[in-house]
Amino acid sequence: MNTAPLQSWDGAEAIFTFADKPAVVMLLLLGALAVTVGTIVVAAVHEKHAYSNHK
Amino acid sequence: MEQQIAELTEKIAALEAAQAMSGTINSEIFYWWCTALMIAIHAGFLAYEMGASRVKNVLASGIKNILAFAFMVPTFYFFGWYIYLAFYNGFIPAADGAAGLPWDLSMGPNLADNATGIFWAAFTLFAATTASIFSGAVIERIQTAGFLILAILLGSVVWILGGAWGWHPSGWLTVKWGYHDVGAAGVVHMVAGFFALGVLLNLGPRVGKFNPDGSANAIKAHNVPFTITGLMLIIVGFFGFLGGCIIYMPGEQWINIYGQPTTLSAFAFNTLMGMAGGIIGAWVKTRDPFWMMSGALIGIFCAASGLDVYYPPLAFLLGAFGGFVVPMVAVKLEKMGIDDAVGAFPVHGIGGLIGVVACGIFASGYPNVIEGAPPVNFFGQVGGAIVMGLLGFIPGYVASYILKVFGLLRVPDHIQEKGLDIVKVPVEAYPENFIPGPVNTTDPVATPAE
Repeated sequence: MNTAPLQSWDGAEAIFTFADKPAVVMLLLLGALAVTVGTIVVAAVHEKHAYSNHK
Repeated sequence: MEQQIAELTEKIAALEAAQAMSGTINSEIFYWWCTALMIAIHAGFLAYEMGASRVKNVLASGIKNILAFAFMVPTFYFFGWYIYLAFYNGFIPAADGAAGLPWDLSMGPNLADNATGIFWAAFTLFAATTASIFSGAVIERIQTAGFLILAILLGSVVWILGGAWGWHPSGWLTVKWGYHDVGAAGVVHMVAGFFALGVLLNLGPRVGKFNPDGSANAIKAHNVPFTITGLMLIIVGFFGFLGGCIIYMPGEQWINIYGQPTTLSAFAFNTLMGMAGGIIGAWVKTRDPFWMMSGALIGIFCAASGLDVYYPPLAFLLGAFGGFVVPMVAVKLEKMGIDDAVGAFPVHGIGGLIGVVACGIFASGYPNVIEGAPPVNFFGQVGGAIVMGLLGFIPGYVASYILKVFGLLRVPDHIQEKGLDIVKVPVEAYPENFIPGPVNTTDPVATPAE
């Protein structure tokens, strides 16, 4: 499996592995955003659950 | 002969290229280590908060602080850096800010860009510092989700907007008012301190802090030596923070964030003298080691805006003044019924305020390098301080009010009485030497997964 976005280091500048197309960049970015926001939601749910277990 | 000249020219060009690359890499290395040192600030705040908490809340306080750090990194990548680069004119983004968007080619490994990543990292650690400042004020009674939302708002939006306005070569506060704040007394400490105050008004005090007649009870830290050591670690980290406040220019003199020439030596003189003054001032006033180390921070903040230009004994006197006065503000705050568990507002908000205003008194007249921009002046500093105070307070108050309405801000009182660790954390802080708090051990164990 070859995932490198370049075949030679000559003239290489930006190296965004897996993100050589705008759509993939957006997909990865949205994935990271979803994990960030989702974790806050999970934290809120966990906290409510913990409080209800300790009436 | 012509061949020799051509060879010589080639060698000179190669030497110049090597020297330029060496300078670029030295600059990269400098900010790399500044960033590493700044992590000590976060480690210090972690120790400080955990030490200041009671045994029943130690780990919950630690988790909150660690999560603030973790959330600051991606959110500063998503939008914090863009805000800094784009909003230096106010609320309308400038086109050149697009370089900070997370899909820009500079926002990742790029062999043609040795600067963006390392500056982004340093600014991300500044953001983590603001979140940590706020974090200490709200220990032992804030919900994790609400805290994270507020920490992201402060660290990746609010302070960096202040940074774009007053800590940027083209920031409107500097260009229009002559605002000068090299060590970030206003843009970091005032903003974070006033943000914390805004949140505290909605969050309310810890259960048991105040009596029905309004008198205050002392809620003692469970580990004062740990707290003091944490504060000392913050001081260590501040040498990374302040080093990161000036710009390495390969082959040239250092410049501050406004483009004015300076030296690391100037920062060394005044940081240490301010710190020493703060310790002494706080010791004279309180005789309390907690306040002595907080005084060290206060002393640095009181000198921070003019670290590049002060005569060191002046920095010492400013530090001593701040170290003496700020503990009195903490007492006043408590008398007003506000429970700031670690003195974040007095230390950072008021310490930063003294620093910004002092620069207008003692460093007035230093010229700006931007054509047409006014020199450092008293009214520019006072105006800048008002902007920083409001920029911190209003978002902190409004956002925490909204979270309060949605039930995401305050831990219920009966949970506070039990202790947050036993409710939310699946491990104990001191399992072999447990100091029992007012908890019912027959209750279910902590809900895991936090």
